[in-house]
Amino acid sequence: MAILRKDLIRELRTREMLISMILFVLLAMVIFHYAFTVKEGADLTYFTGGMLWVTFIFAMLLGLNRSFAQEKDERCLDGLLLCPVDRVTIFLAKTAGNLIFLLIIQVVAVPVFTLFFVERSYAGDLLPFLVVLLLADVGICALGTLLATISMNTRSRDLLLPIIFLPLIVPVLIAATGATTLIFAEGAGFGGLLARVLFLLGFDAVFIVAAYGTYDFAIGE
Amino acid sequence: MKQLLSAPALFVEAGICLVAGLLLGFLYAPIDASSMGFSQKIFYYHAPIAETALLAFGIAFVAAIAYLRTQDAKWDRLGLVCVRLGLLFSLLVMITGMIWGKAAWDAWWAWEPRLTTFLLVCFLYIAYFVLRSAVEEEQRRATYAAVFAIIAFIDVPITFFATRFLPEGLHPVVIGTGGSGMEGSMLVSFLISMLGMTLLLAALIRRDLAVEELKDRVADLKHTIGG
Amino acid sequence: MSIEEGAKFVAAAYAVILAVLVLYYFISARRVNALRRDVQLLEQEVQRRQAGAGEAGGE
Repeated sequence: MAILRKDLIRELRTREMLISMILFVLLAMVIFHYAFTVKEGADLTYFTGGMLWVTFIFAMLLGLNRSFAQEKDERCLDGLLLCPVDRVTIFLAKTAGNLIFLLIIQVVAVPVFTLFFVERSYAGDLLPFLVVLLLADVGICALGTLLATISMNTRSRDLLLPIIFLPLIVPVLIAATGATTLIFAEGAGFGGLLARVLFLLGFDAVFIVAAYGTYDFAIGE
Repeated sequence: MKQLLSAPALFVEAGICLVAGLLLGFLYAPIDASSMGFSQKIFYYHAPIAETALLAFGIAFVAAIAYLRTQDAKWDRLGLVCVRLGLLFSLLVMITGMIWGKAAWDAWWAWEPRLTTFLLVCFLYIAYFVLRSAVEEEQRRATYAAVFAIIAFIDVPITFFATRFLPEGLHPVVIGTGGSGMEGSMLVSFLISMLGMTLLLAALIRRDLAVEELKDRVADLKHTIGG
Repeated sequence: MSIEEGAKFVAAAYAVILAVLVLYYFISARRVNALRRDVQLLEQEVQRRQAGAGEAGGE
């Protein structure tokens, strides 16, 4: 808990990272518009889920790189390891921290995205949407935290993270974009989304367990 | 018995099985009744390579766990060798898969579950090597590689599942993956080729493992001399 | 697709597989031999130096 608080407090004080990530996300949306509407009146309805999640994933890469690089530079991690804290707790705290950052960004980004790209109102499907959002976020943050811990300790540091992270996150991307696009384009309740929701749930469970087993090694010295 | 398991012997055994499988596939098994016709015969090597690749990654997974438990370098070597071979086999799966695709559907590429999964698998295990090359210290390199090998292998079936079952609902699955039952003669050819490929994998693992062990030994000796 | 056309593709596929794998095996085997030689040479060198040091130490 204390670790979580520490991370949050540090970030909320500077807000550097958060602001940069939010700006990145919003700018990406503008770029998507220009990238995809070469044809007059091109219909992007079925691209919406994809655009949204691609943006979030890349924003997360930026954020993970930043927060871990900072930690490494400030040698916080060494101090942390000296504490009699279970390594796995560090993992959970960091993941939770990253998750909160991602959620904050999404709170800003999703309404703007809706404004820019989504035509029909999905207020009726808001709950399923949020569930999908949360589940995908957890997967992204858990896997991202684990891998960032590893990549930060290597020579290539931030260059390595996308390479090891992106192939692994593809399933989440598939599920999340499918579900999100369905919601934005046609509207879907839990029934239609069941497969994807369960899949995301399963993914999260599997990888959190995997992280549980391996985080000791990822962070160990 | 040990003789039978040595690398050259395995290679010969593999060769026998593979040639047998080949002949059976062409002479004994019938031409496929579906639209694929003759090109279906690629299957007798394509599928075994795919399964052998996954087998290799599975061995790497087990080796990774063993390494994390024991910190013994031999597990790291086994993992490295298996990932390398698995990657090689996966590339072959992709190449033959594309050739088969061209023959059967007249398209070099299709975003269908198996090709896509193996594409991702290739990226994943190439990342394994990128990761390894980014860490200089042996112990840490082996540890990180092991963690990644574990995570990667878990992700493989998940990825396959995702590419196979999730895109439905938005658009129909483009190409059926033809998992229909095989009749007896096809099955026999397939199984023998499968055995052959597995033996070939074993032969290659032994050889490559020897290479890695010797490389480490050379490095050690050089260290002794230089240091 | 007629048998002739199909056969070309099939042959290509099998050829690629076998060529790559067999080649890999033999390259690997050659490396093993080369490395074994290296190890032998290095081990001899180590022995030589240890013998030399032993003599020097004995004096």
